[in-house]
Amino acid sequence: MSATALSALQRWAFAIVPAVGLVELVAHVAQTRPAASDGDWAAARAWVAANAKPEDLVAFAPKWIDPVGRMRFGDDIANLEREARPDETRFPRAIEVAIRGAHLAAFDGWRKSGTQRFGGVTVTTWENPSPAHVLSDLVSMIEPRHAHVFRGDTECQWSHTHPESGGLGYGPAVPADRFTCPGGGFAGMSVVADLDYVPHRCIYAPPTGGPLRIRFDGVRFGHELHGHHAIYVEAERMKTGAPVTLSFTSGGTSIGSVVHRDGDGWKPFELDTSQLDGQTGELTVEVSSPSSDRRQYCFEADTR
Amino acid sequence: MKLPPALRLPSRVGWRDHVIGGLLALAYVAWLLAGARSLGFPRDEGVYFAAGSSYFRWWHALFERGREMLQPGAIDAAFGNNSEHPPLMKTLFGASEWLLHEKWHVFADASTAFRLPGMMTAGLAIWVTYLFGARAWSRRAGLVAALLFALMPQVFFNAHLACFDVPITAMWTLCVYVHWRAQEKRTWRWAIAVGVAYGLCLATKHNAWFLPAVLVPHALFVQRHSIWRALRVGRVSIPASIVSMFTVGPLVLYALWPRLWNDAMGGLEFWAKFMLNHEYYNIEFLGKNYFGPPSPKSYLPVMVLATVPTITILLFLAGAIDRIGVGVRRLRARAMNLAHRDPGDTPPRDPLETDLLLALSFCVAVGPFFLSKTPIFGGTKHWMPAYPVLALFAGRGFDLVTAAMHRALPSLGDTKRRLAEVALVALVVVAPLAVTAHSHPFGLSAYVPLVGGTAGGADMGLNRQFWGFTTQTAAEEYLNPRAPRGATVFILDTTWTAWAHMQEEGRVRGDLRVVGAPGEAMLSLVQHELHMNEVDYDIWIADGSDAPVYVVTHDDVPFVSIYGRR
Repeated sequence: MSATALSALQRWAFAIVPAVGLVELVAHVAQTRPAASDGDWAAARAWVAANAKPEDLVAFAPKWIDPVGRMRFGDDIANLEREARPDETRFPRAIEVAIRGAHLAAFDGWRKSGTQRFGGVTVTTWENPSPAHVLSDLVSMIEPRHAHVFRGDTECQWSHTHPESGGLGYGPAVPADRFTCPGGGFAGMSVVADLDYVPHRCIYAPPTGGPLRIRFDGVRFGHELHGHHAIYVEAERMKTGAPVTLSFTSGGTSIGSVVHRDGDGWKPFELDTSQLDGQTGELTVEVSSPSSDRRQYCFEADTR
Repeated sequence: MKLPPALRLPSRVGWRDHVIGGLLALAYVAWLLAGARSLGFPRDEGVYFAAGSSYFRWWHALFERGREMLQPGAIDAAFGNNSEHPPLMKTLFGASEWLLHEKWHVFADASTAFRLPGMMTAGLAIWVTYLFGARAWSRRAGLVAALLFALMPQVFFNAHLACFDVPITAMWTLCVYVHWRAQEKRTWRWAIAVGVAYGLCLATKHNAWFLPAVLVPHALFVQRHSIWRALRVGRVSIPASIVSMFTVGPLVLYALWPRLWNDAMGGLEFWAKFMLNHEYYNIEFLGKNYFGPPSPKSYLPVMVLATVPTITILLFLAGAIDRIGVGVRRLRARAMNLAHRDPGDTPPRDPLETDLLLALSFCVAVGPFFLSKTPIFGGTKHWMPAYPVLALFAGRGFDLVTAAMHRALPSLGDTKRRLAEVALVALVVVAPLAVTAHSHPFGLSAYVPLVGGTAGGADMGLNRQFWGFTTQTAAEEYLNPRAPRGATVFILDTTWTAWAHMQEEGRVRGDLRVVGAPGEAMLSLVQHELHMNEVDYDIWIADGSDAPVYVVTHDDVPFVSIYGRR
């Protein structure tokens, strides 16, 4: 650079300040414009409603727009199976509904098969390169047609009552439809906030007053039992609680057991069921812990 | 164009500058008052409203009933409420409410009267910042510093509230300023003023405990020669301002806090223990929920960069680097002198060591937030006493930019020169003004364009809100026009006291009834913070649906979800 140019540059260097002021103003104006109109959202919803299959995942990006996505799309599309999924492995396709150019990292490595734009809303379809084929989903089976729950030798009765919920620190809601055990304890489908406050649909089965046994009938076995388990975030984040053990048996034969320790979060597990592959039968799950103090435990599992 | 003599300011800073500072303060308070009704009540405000009324009514009763009110039981009954915080602002909140709402009906809303003293301290901080900048560097620097301080969105938000964070910012700045003046004047009047200012600081918030770490080393350094001379003749000379700070200051605190009259040591011990063992609340930072130590050391720098307008930060850096450069050149000259070598061009000596004082004030205000045990749940409000200093260095930076502009445009006539200066001020303040004005009433989640604004803050996983104050916006947008008559509402993070105040003032429909659990409610609210997500999920189960009936948003970002029982 010549001396003259350098001198001019130094002379006008002060202009950086008003320039930054202007850029900040323009950026503010651009950033505060609504990303999408009501019409954009409605058009995107109509397209998704027409094109999403029941087995597809529908997800909103960025993550923080999720409440708006649920409001705009309704719980028939943004249902619990999708919103509080255990992970993405079971979905053959994902329909990502995004604003502001956002994208969910969960679909990195999936194949993009289409993009639709509805004003400020972009709908992208992703193909899962290796979707798991779920044979039986235990969370969907926790009702009297498919499950029996026992505490000790006593069977817990299926009941429809009012849900129990509270404010911050209450723990997962106790569902209205649940197996209720005499003297305490229950099991039913709820949603747990894991250590990262991510929702997961699961079987809420705290080991209150002794081990809880759940017998599922008519389970279709594959080569593995795939699942996750967690303790409600505020009950496990201090890492002072007792471990919780989840054991699986079928026909009196152990399939395996997994242990959840405080701090593990939404912990995945996989157990080999290749010896039962192709069979349909009973699967018994036992939840136990040396202590029942704040063991607000929830698990999900499927066969695949 | 030349200004008429009547409008020309003398070179010496004086009463006219107090008028300028006062006008800036008044304009800011008026702006705050204009937005008071659109800002809901955070959790803490409800507590301070009640404590303020209790404290002031005791003082009122003392003047009416005399000694009877001095009974320990009467004092404890009045001042036992929220005794973990000193009383000055709460007493002023109560006095303002009693005088301006109950007695003289100046404000229709009690809450606005409660909030006025806090707003006035924001004005005070602006006033003092202007004076400080005007005396230290130039009127231009003071003006820009005052404006840039006022136009920090999170300062603007907190300045609305009947809380202590902006008041302690004002008292801290006032105390530092009075101390600075006292070093120049060296009179007993100024020394006593330091003691009084420090006492007011102590009576405002516990940040005042750290102020001696600013004022003592500075006073000792400024007066080092006289201290050394006294020592050489066998005398100990302590700066009068420091003596006053440690004597008059505690006396002012004692006088303003009747709770100490019964049991001074017990009251102080309770205060200290409460603050030193303060509970950790949940707060999100970079997508992670923090609920205990260790606190992330990057919290303060990231939050400052993300919440203070970038132009302000840029000018602060320009000003701070300039002052550091001056300090380095002075040190170098000193070293050359000691080595009996020619120091060359040396910056003029500042007998008041202004740079040192401001640097100490800044560092001491932010220092605790680099300790892993310091809770971070308060977001930016807990280090706000550093912001007037940040703005003052920005003012100095603006002076440098203006000088550079004049050097670049030497041929401009007087009129064009002034217009260019006005344009430069406008270009510097317009973005902070736009960001601040747009942030209301969501100022707690105001992130600057550098990080993408409010949506950028959400992308980064930065705190969106706390204290549940956005419930009022939920009421304005959904509950008031659309909730069924007599509907039960679960309000989660909003206190029942705050809700009751909002109903009393007609901000929330009076027929709506609060309940304690989503399962009991026809409508349930979730004020979005990371750790509140668990309640969202509970509502999904309790209501049988995960779809809100309405979501309050700002710049697309959800603030409150409202669920309706199916």
